Amino acid sequence: MQAPPIRTTNLCKTFDDPKRGAVHAVCDLNLECKEGEIFGLLGPNGAGKTTTLRMLSTILAPTSGEAELAGIRVSDDPLEVRRRLGFLSGSTGLYPRLTAREILEYFGRLHGMDEAQLQARVEDLLDTFSIRAFADGRCESLSTGQRQRVSIARAVLHDPPVLILDEPTTGLDILAASDMIQFIQSRKDAGTCVLFSTHILSEAERLCDRIGVIDEGRLLAVGSLEELRAQTGKEWLEDVFRALVEEVDTEAPAATPPANEE
Amino acid sequence: MPTSRTLSPLRGALEVARKELTESLRDRATVMYAFVLPICMYPVLFWAILQGVMVVEGLQDRTETTLGIAVAGVPAEEHDTATEGLIHALSPPSEDPDEPAANSLKLIWAPESMDMEQAREWLTKDEEESTEEAPDRPDAVLFLDPLTILHVSTESSSNLASKRARGRLESHASDLRMEAADLAGLEAADLNPISVSTVDLAERGAQGAVVLASLLPLLLVVMAVMGSFFPAVDLTAGEKERGTAETTLLVPLARSSIITGKVLAVGALGMTATALSLFALSLSAEHLLSALPVAVDLSISIPTIAIIGAIPLAFFFSLFVSASLTACASLAATFKEGQALLGPVQMVFILPAMVGIIPGIQLTYSMALVPVINVVLAFRAMLMGQPLYGPYCVTALALALYAWLALRLALHLLSRESVLLAGKTLPLGRLLKTLRGTASTR
Repeated sequence: MQAPPIRTTNLCKTFDDPKRGAVHAVCDLNLECKEGEIFGLLGPNGAGKTTTLRMLSTILAPTSGEAELAGIRVSDDPLEVRRRLGFLSGSTGLYPRLTAREILEYFGRLHGMDEAQLQARVEDLLDTFSIRAFADGRCESLSTGQRQRVSIARAVLHDPPVLILDEPTTGLDILAASDMIQFIQSRKDAGTCVLFSTHILSEAERLCDRIGVIDEGRLLAVGSLEELRAQTGKEWLEDVFRALVEEVDTEAPAATPPANEE
Repeated sequence: MPTSRTLSPLRGALEVARKELTESLRDRATVMYAFVLPICMYPVLFWAILQGVMVVEGLQDRTETTLGIAVAGVPAEEHDTATEGLIHALSPPSEDPDEPAANSLKLIWAPESMDMEQAREWLTKDEEESTEEAPDRPDAVLFLDPLTILHVSTESSSNLASKRARGRLESHASDLRMEAADLAGLEAADLNPISVSTVDLAERGAQGAVVLASLLPLLLVVMAVMGSFFPAVDLTAGEKERGTAETTLLVPLARSSIITGKVLAVGALGMTATALSLFALSLSAEHLLSALPVAVDLSISIPTIAIIGAIPLAFFFSLFVSASLTACASLAATFKEGQALLGPVQMVFILPAMVGIIPGIQLTYSMALVPVINVVLAFRAMLMGQPLYGPYCVTALALALYAWLALRLALHLLSRESVLLAGKTLPLGRLLKTLRGTASTR
């Protein structure tokens, strides 16, 4: 049986804060995303979305539990995970003194693409994302929307089977946000598994096959929008989300956080 | 997925280094410190010093000084006859009375006889106390019996007057000796039975080597540190500030390859700065020395053996410096904080390098183990044409070891999540805790 593109098992991340002590950002997170699926991770600021995605992309090491990408454990072979992953977030900026073309060539070479294949791929991406007009200007001189297009091209350069996007429309203007939503939709059509985090409910409602609601590092519910509506008896996603968070707050006092395993 | 192959760690590190160098060479501050400054700094500095020396010499030549003449027990009106020869020697008549004479020494007679104590008071009295009986205070006083020059060493005009008076009196004394020898039918040398002269048998090149050996190792250490300073901050703290640190972490390379690539880029810029400063110095040093107003009979050239021997030392030393600076700068969250953090750290390299100026300290096997000092002393020995092969090899090995340890430190720190993704500069107090181990990524 083929492993799912993304799977987490009891995934935990604890940070050691000098003032607050152990901070449990993610607790016992169990998640599974399927091939060709758009999975939305929905939660307020500080819910643990970014930490989860950073663990999946090997930027952070899990404190305990497991994260797998295409059947490869991130703790066992992070390099292979990075080869199969496209990751984009607000903190994956572009090198300001390089041009868009140079950035794409740099990542292509590090992905081990041979030169002819790389040049063909770069030319293709310049057209696909309408980058060609500003491809040879330094990234520091590009607009926010232009930078976003270059960032997307960088993330999909090696045509990864898994795409992880952390709040991909945050800070974008209406047109750039619309381009991003179209791009996510297009990846689903191409059979890529897309996991993206957001706190914009309309995005999740429009794009996601399934939604995971996360708060205070815990996954509260997972399902399609219809399933979540049925579970909570609410029509609008905003009400669904509120009901799930309030249900946990009233039914169960905060679980004992795991010990700091660092 | 497009077909791809896995890069070797070294190939990956070189790709990272190439990208970092491309970025650094587009940064004005890095270009300034790695290229412009090494080429221009020392020639411009020496030229400015040279101009300064010439200006000071010229100003001294044009400065008018006064010399008081005081004598005890001789009436004032008899001064001229008693001291005619001396006076003529001290202040010869100017060929062109309208043109101020260079090195002028104006004589002021004491109005009446003075003993030594009164002459002292004349020289040290306040300006306001001048009267007709006690005229203006001179810069120095010549007391005639016994012949003594009184001056105040804390005043430059007094020193100048004293120096001029002494020089002219010594010249006059020499003339008198020659006249006396003529009258007695002797050779002038017979009146000076013990004449001692010194002859320096050192070759001009060797004299130049001593000058080079005392300064060049220090200058090269300074340039290696300055050349690495900005890139080290730019590629660590600067990257965090620009928001590209996470982008770098996503490349399919081991963290060790990424960090090695960064250190190689910083080291390459440090070595470039060192090589350029050496090149600029070798081109300009002899020319600048020949322009000095005082004759400096030196031949400034760097021995071939020193250049060849310096290459491995410079390589390992640059790696050591660049890895150390990169490791320290990685604790900072912003470029500005990185600069502040590395300010004191660079002195850790520059201060020990000053040992190279101290004469008498030689490269020994034990000294060869002391970082920074070892490279300075080894280079100094090579510049003086005295290569010490055993200690040299120990120096090279020790530097390679320190470079490796510094690289390990950089790898260790830059693999820590708390360092890589810190939103604020980590205090040095957290360094040990960070080194002991928080979560790290591969």
